[in-house]
Amino acid sequence: MAKKIPEFSKEDLSKMLKDFWYGKPHGERRLGELYIDKKGLYKHREWRGVKDTMYYFYMIWLYNYIHMVRDVIRFGGVVNFAKGVWRYRWVGQTYLPVLHWFDRGLEGLRGEALKASAWHYRGMVASTIRQFQRMFAADTRLHGGKQNEIYKHNIAHNETVWGGVFYPWSDQYQNVPIEMIPYFVTCHVNCHTVLNYIDAVQSIGLPGDPCPMCQAEAGIFVLDDVPDYAPIVVTCNEACDASVSTSILQDWFWDKPLYALPMPMQFDDPLVKKYCMQEIEGMWKFVEEQTGVPFNWNQLVKKLESQNQLQEFEWEKWEVAAHSNYYPVNGVAQALYRIYQSQYGDWEIWHFCDKKVRKIMEKCVKKKINSFPNTRHRVIAWSCAPLFFSHWCTWAYNCWGLNVIINMDSLMFDMTIRTDSYDHALEDMAQYHMWAPMRRMAVGGMAHMFELWDYMQRFNCDMVAMYDQLQCKGVQGIHGMFEDEFRERNIHAFWIPHALPDSRTVTRAEIRRLINDYMTTVMHEEPLDPSLLDFDDSMGW
Amino acid sequence: MKDLKHLIFFEDLLQEANNKLVQQAKAEGKYAIGYTCYFMPEVLLDLPGCFSVRLRAPRCTSPDIATYYMSSRVCHYARSLMERALEGGFNFLDAQMATETCTATCRFQEHLEQKHLDSVKDMRVIENDNFFCEFCDVPFKNNEISYNHFTEQLRVHVLDKLHENLGVDVSDEAILKAVEEHNEVCRLINEIGDYRKLDIPTITGYEFHVIQLVSLVCPKYLILPYLRETAEELKTREPELKKDFRCKVVLAGSENDDPGYTQLVESCGARVVADRYCYGAVESRIPIEIKEGEDPLKAIAKHYLLTSNCPRFMPQDEMRQRKKRLADLAKEYHADGIIVSSNKFCEYWSYERVIDTVVMPRDFGIPVCSIEKEYINSASGQLRTRFQAFVESIEIKQIQEGK
Amino acid sequence: MKKCKCKCGCKILKLLAKLFGVLLLANVALFVVFFFDLDGKLLFHVVEPFLKKHYDNMERKDTLKTPYDVAKYVKPDYDK
Repeated sequence: MAKKIPEFSKEDLSKMLKDFWYGKPHGERRLGELYIDKKGLYKHREWRGVKDTMYYFYMIWLYNYIHMVRDVIRFGGVVNFAKGVWRYRWVGQTYLPVLHWFDRGLEGLRGEALKASAWHYRGMVASTIRQFQRMFAADTRLHGGKQNEIYKHNIAHNETVWGGVFYPWSDQYQNVPIEMIPYFVTCHVNCHTVLNYIDAVQSIGLPGDPCPMCQAEAGIFVLDDVPDYAPIVVTCNEACDASVSTSILQDWFWDKPLYALPMPMQFDDPLVKKYCMQEIEGMWKFVEEQTGVPFNWNQLVKKLESQNQLQEFEWEKWEVAAHSNYYPVNGVAQALYRIYQSQYGDWEIWHFCDKKVRKIMEKCVKKKINSFPNTRHRVIAWSCAPLFFSHWCTWAYNCWGLNVIINMDSLMFDMTIRTDSYDHALEDMAQYHMWAPMRRMAVGGMAHMFELWDYMQRFNCDMVAMYDQLQCKGVQGIHGMFEDEFRERNIHAFWIPHALPDSRTVTRAEIRRLINDYMTTVMHEEPLDPSLLDFDDSMGW
Repeated sequence: MKDLKHLIFFEDLLQEANNKLVQQAKAEGKYAIGYTCYFMPEVLLDLPGCFSVRLRAPRCTSPDIATYYMSSRVCHYARSLMERALEGGFNFLDAQMATETCTATCRFQEHLEQKHLDSVKDMRVIENDNFFCEFCDVPFKNNEISYNHFTEQLRVHVLDKLHENLGVDVSDEAILKAVEEHNEVCRLINEIGDYRKLDIPTITGYEFHVIQLVSLVCPKYLILPYLRETAEELKTREPELKKDFRCKVVLAGSENDDPGYTQLVESCGARVVADRYCYGAVESRIPIEIKEGEDPLKAIAKHYLLTSNCPRFMPQDEMRQRKKRLADLAKEYHADGIIVSSNKFCEYWSYERVIDTVVMPRDFGIPVCSIEKEYINSASGQLRTRFQAFVESIEIKQIQEGK
Repeated sequence: MKKCKCKCGCKILKLLAKLFGVLLLANVALFVVFFFDLDGKLLFHVVEPFLKKHYDNMERKDTLKTPYDVAKYVKPDYDK
């Protein structure tokens, strides 16, 4: 019997051409079928229509590869980079597949959202390369034990020390957080690397229950995987008890002159500000003494004013996100860029990226472009996100139409810093520092955790994604009250349990399953893309 | 050894937070002020007209409702306190003087707080219309600005609140009087505790643990006569004819208000001779010294920051020196080893325990037994095995050293 | 066929054509790499396993042997 040739109508052809030209519309596409089972790699990358695919190819994929090479050369050279890759697991295992990080975060995006979100990623990549290249260029281990000039012009600090406190020396010295690149950013890019460090610190007797972020921060020292790149170090008690304790191990293994910069816990109390200001001044004296370079007020003002511009643009972004459907940045790009930029401090790349995003956002507002047209729910994500699955919001939009408008991490630093006088500047810097990541809301006073309701209203959100960091005592200790309040206020909220960087405790697949269950059994909704409901990416980066 | 006359009475006082002496003081019109941490100076809560009660939740083995509120992944101690509060066990309190010195107890105390907020309803955990909970910021350092900051915090959040809400006299004279009474307790506890330094101590670690605890949870003026009598009794107490322990140990670590734990250690052949943990006497029973002309409040603030060995202190010299202080303590009490215990989910002590476990034997030659425990120790069989093995290892070491 | 009179201009045109051809080929090749995620596959199947093996077998310092000098650092005057 002759094989029946499927009928191919004119409509089919027209649809095919349309899909080729514009890409399959949301609701018809099956993104989950692009994955290679378990590995998280793509059989092929998504076809987003001619324009967006070409934009992705040239302006994201190729542009970023080229600029990564450029950044490596610009910030320390290929030789230092090669030596660093060979010596340190966290850079070799993590940062080479960085474009896959883009892929995961930008999956399914089209048009202006694709462009704006990608610029955020570009900013983070440039900053990351700058920092690890600075570490490698100074690292005594890569330079025959010698302390070169770059080494002598570095200041190391905990990643929870806000980079802005070093602005007075920023024309001569560079501050490089100890853990931001070897630990924090790695978890987003390749979630497997960090497991080595968590296991390492547990192998010396630390129980498994303290905050896994702090475990990893100590673990990189246990595995001797921290470059020796600075003569002095500043530690901080932010955000929690485990952060304080981590610095005990770090001090032991690093054995360098250390200044402890404690932040008052009760940051709402107006009385604590003076104390905090004095401690920051103490730290400045330490830097002056150790470097021999005096405090530079003009440099501080210059940098603070530059940082204020970043904050002002962030407020503009919030306004658009809160009051319209024209905000072109997706949940993960918003969250990561904001926490990175606001914690690391002012740098030129942020201004460059903000300029690009501003142009896109203004276009969206002017032309009323809704970049997330399939939004079913405007979601606010609260508490600390799973680092190994920060791109869950991209998945949630593609699968369920859950559009994460804003998140807690973005909202922590909600202020500009006055520069009209030394006292005002110092006072505001103290306030800014006390509102550190995770402290202001997650482990800060209980009242701040419940600022959720205000922000929910302010950003016109109708649903809450409640992160449930299983080893965060601050969040766990308030769990029941949230349940009570959600019930009382009749708020749709789903919990996302996770162990911050540790992808083994609650896997990505389990998180997806929990959200799927909530959307089907509580919300009674149908997925927009059923191919994304259940897939195995356990080996994926 | 002959039984201590008041031991059973003391044990009885530890069965409930609202014990017989607390009830008596309340009946006499005194205000009960709760607290959880060493950093809240108990002496200020013992001002005339009120008395301090360091909160405990004895016999709380199943904190179910607290687990709903605080999840199962938070320190059992904090959850047990929450459970006891929800059961009504702390309704006798007139105030809670709170500190954010560890996250878990902070969260417990925040549940007690009157919210006065639109964002969250007041749970009314403590059924007492006049009850209030006030937080105080405790610095992480020992320097002049920290002393000043802590002094101001104590003035505003403790003294002013006690005065405004309860009419307590917070004058310097009243403070000095409270210090005097406090120091009397310290003197007696130290006198009692010093018998642990003898070759064959005339007091067990368990007995001392019970005595120290009652001094923390009972009104000072009511417990003092019993302490005096006990101290007197110990002057003539004869040791066992035959040494009834195999080695001496220092018990260090996180929160421990369970004398049963000390008893368990001692039942394995070790004698607990020093107690450097939260609720222990090593720090809390150092008398407060106020120099002439010194502001009593500042002297108190300074005292509590200076005497603490808590791992929340961050400066480099402090972090390192407290290892030495632990070693010195072992030497002072002629201990053969140290048991470092941390409560499960206690972040501070989880780390401190790791470093103590490596550094103490390596740099100070003192064997360490590293234990992770619960607030109420139900897994006593496993712990017993660990302690027995530790005692044996010390004995082997002593044999090898020819002792 | 008419012969080109301007040798120089022709060479330039040829060069440009060649350059265009090379660029086009490079573009196509790169697009193939991009579209079929060949960069990801190379890194996943070759580079990462190789590096992981290297890191796993690397000789590392026993950090627990790091000295812990309790008296090494004293509090500076401004922090007393």
